[in-house]
Amino acid sequence: MWGFLLRRLGHAALVLLVVSTVTFAIVHAAPGGPSLLADPKLSVAEREAIESRLGLDQPIPVQYARWLSRLVRGDLGNSFLFESSNVSTIRSRLPNTLLLAGTALMLTMLVAIPLGAWSAERPGGWIDRVCNAFAFVAMSVPTFWLGIVLVLVFAVHWQLLPAGGASTVGVAGSVSDRLRHLTLPALVLATVGTAELFRYTRASARGVFGLAFVRTARAKGVSERGVRWRHGMRNALLPIVTVVGLQLPRLVGGAAITETVFSWPGMGRLGIEAALARDYPLVMAITLLVSAGVLVCSLLVDLAYFALDPRAHPDR
Amino acid sequence: MTTSRAAWCGMTLGALAAVTSLACEGGEKSAADSARSRRLATDSVAGSVTSGGVLRIALINDPIFDPVIAPDLGSVMLNKIIFPGLVRPDEQLRPTPDLAASWTAADDGLSYTFALRPGITWHDGAPFSARDVKFTFDQIIDPTSGSRLRSDFAAVAGTDILDSLTVRIRLKTPFAPFLTLLGYNTGILPEHLLKGAPLTQATDFNRRHPVGTGPFKVEEVVPGASVSLVRNPRYYGAPPHLDRIVFKIVSDVNAQVAQLRAGELDLITVEPATLASVHDVKGVTLLQVPVVQHYYVAFNVARPMFASPVVRRALGMAVDRNAIIKGVMRGYADAPRGTIPVVLRAFFDDSIAPIPYAPDSARALLASVGWTAGTDGTLHNAKGAPFAFSLLVDKGNPTREQTALAVQQDLRKIGINVTLRTMEFSALVRDHVLPGKFDAHVIWWTTPPDPDQYAFYHTGQDNNNVRWSNRTADSLLSLGRVTMDVAKRRAIYRAFQRLEMDDPPVLVLFYPREIQAVSTRLHGLPSLGIRDALRYSERFSIREP
Repeated sequence: MWGFLLRRLGHAALVLLVVSTVTFAIVHAAPGGPSLLADPKLSVAEREAIESRLGLDQPIPVQYARWLSRLVRGDLGNSFLFESSNVSTIRSRLPNTLLLAGTALMLTMLVAIPLGAWSAERPGGWIDRVCNAFAFVAMSVPTFWLGIVLVLVFAVHWQLLPAGGASTVGVAGSVSDRLRHLTLPALVLATVGTAELFRYTRASARGVFGLAFVRTARAKGVSERGVRWRHGMRNALLPIVTVVGLQLPRLVGGAAITETVFSWPGMGRLGIEAALARDYPLVMAITLLVSAGVLVCSLLVDLAYFALDPRAHPDR
Repeated sequence: MTTSRAAWCGMTLGALAAVTSLACEGGEKSAADSARSRRLATDSVAGSVTSGGVLRIALINDPIFDPVIAPDLGSVMLNKIIFPGLVRPDEQLRPTPDLAASWTAADDGLSYTFALRPGITWHDGAPFSARDVKFTFDQIIDPTSGSRLRSDFAAVAGTDILDSLTVRIRLKTPFAPFLTLLGYNTGILPEHLLKGAPLTQATDFNRRHPVGTGPFKVEEVVPGASVSLVRNPRYYGAPPHLDRIVFKIVSDVNAQVAQLRAGELDLITVEPATLASVHDVKGVTLLQVPVVQHYYVAFNVARPMFASPVVRRALGMAVDRNAIIKGVMRGYADAPRGTIPVVLRAFFDDSIAPIPYAPDSARALLASVGWTAGTDGTLHNAKGAPFAFSLLVDKGNPTREQTALAVQQDLRKIGINVTLRTMEFSALVRDHVLPGKFDAHVIWWTTPPDPDQYAFYHTGQDNNNVRWSNRTADSLLSLGRVTMDVAKRRAIYRAFQRLEMDDPPVLVLFYPREIQAVSTRLHGLPSLGIRDALRYSERFSIREP
């Protein structure tokens, strides 16, 4: 097990290095350049002063070497946009994203997995039909459209819930206020994920429920509940874990469209802002964080596999 | 320059209007309607004003609290409130006293002496003095400070403290726009908090705890979400009415509109393409204000195709500006006569007739310089080369994209083949406009409220991106900067305006009006663009209907 973890750690370091190099090359190759230099009113002298202050007058390999040497010393650099450290910028956004994406993921799992299992048990039954219809619609509706419709209905028309933001400005952190702001974006963010996960769960469970060992379990007199959950679903969960694992990086990366529609101060919007403004240091910092998040999530998925399926365990 | 909005705005609104009955019906508010609402909004200021209340304004990006280093719209809006300048513009955009109670200009125009208003304190309680003014101007002209106001104040030679409340700013040459620029983006910074380190490194000040002298001070900053300002009880001017001003960071225009309609925002600015969604909404008034901007098609005069003034004049006649003003701007723009916008009334010559839409005359003019129509109607020169070029426009802004499309279609009608290319604004500017790698592009200038356009249209200047050069214009623009007498200046800029009719530096499309969608609860907003209006935040008040 420890050897496995060490190997994975080595892989992770390598992957991060490759990702950072490629990202650095891509962001510098993108047309335009840092937005603070894209002001047509800047004089040549002003532009040169800014370039030299930010080190942009150096050749790109030198800039990369400088960035890397700072990174090794634990310094993620300063943002062009915010004129402040990237760590503090990310730290101010990450909790909001964890809250929103975490809530959405919980909702997704709590709704999709039981419904998927029920649907699989009686394919063609009314639960199955209703859920499938819902999943079909939910997967087809564009996120921004759903978001704006919900805002128009619940915030503009009925005025039940706030139209945007993570909390009412000036109201000191009340839980109910945070929940009210969280409801619509979490619902929107959970919708597509729920539909996808429902379809996967249903397909996976249907496959497993038809297998011989399930029949054997029934034949030896295990209760229907036990058949479904202890024998059936435990095996059906393997592909589901992978699907959930794929959704996990959103916890750090944020969901750009949902965050934009609900002006939610999270990582997704920050990433978009940084990319549009060609804020090289911030783009690099976010990319590194999200890549690390993806690596951690895929490790978690593997560990979950070991727990669910002893045959996959590395020490076996 | 304002940043462009997401490309899918138009799509969203279209889809919404079709599907949900909650989306409002189309149709535009007429100019007369708006003028009436504007009167209502200002009339009510005269009556009794209630104190208290919170005003909520949309902001598109996180601000940097420092007027000297931050040029973006979000920062400018906040800094106008937090950091007053020596003067501020009145509704006619003329400088009036602010931190300075009065001033005198030397007869030779080479220095200005300001008598500061006594008894002003910074938000932290420290006294404001001439030292702060000197510190700010030293920073502005320092090439290493990160100052974005350096080229505005290139004429400044230095600042002398005469006593604690008197300061003299010395100029290298007489500089007529000086006072106007002082009231534009030039907020005064506190020396006692910022001395000793580059302005760009004062992170705690710039991002969280700025200290100014304005009517409201920063109470709380939530990155990516909001900036709350609270009334400054020590404000030197008339006591502010509002308790608080909250700036909510809402980058998406649809989200801004939704929050305005939900009563969660009181003031947003909208583009003509978004008008339908704020029109006829209960509790929302539409106001319009002419702003100091000109939108234009830039032709690269360094390219032989556009070198002749005759060609540029002909192109100007081939574009139907009134159709663009009506169709794209929904009437929220004024017809142009040169590059000096109509809002600068003291300098604008409205006796000049606007360039007519006359495609036939345009064709005749082009034929006179060798561009003749072939059998298929397209224009060719003597060598048989077709009149064809590419027109660049930034992606995502419906106003500019639709304008570029209209220009393309109008020019096609007289046989010119225009290829449209859209790209991100930063790519347009950095890769094409600044290095001069373009045939033509659609863009705009936002200028200080002064007719001085030396930086944009004088030969060889940094911002003369079209490479236009006209000797007479050069001497007029140089003279206009050093002439202090208003009547003489007026004559100079009117001569420049007439010259632009014969040798157009750019194809001016329109002077836009800013559209403000404002909650009917808000009163006391001066008739100024949002940036300048925020210089009067102490006059704003909230009254529940």
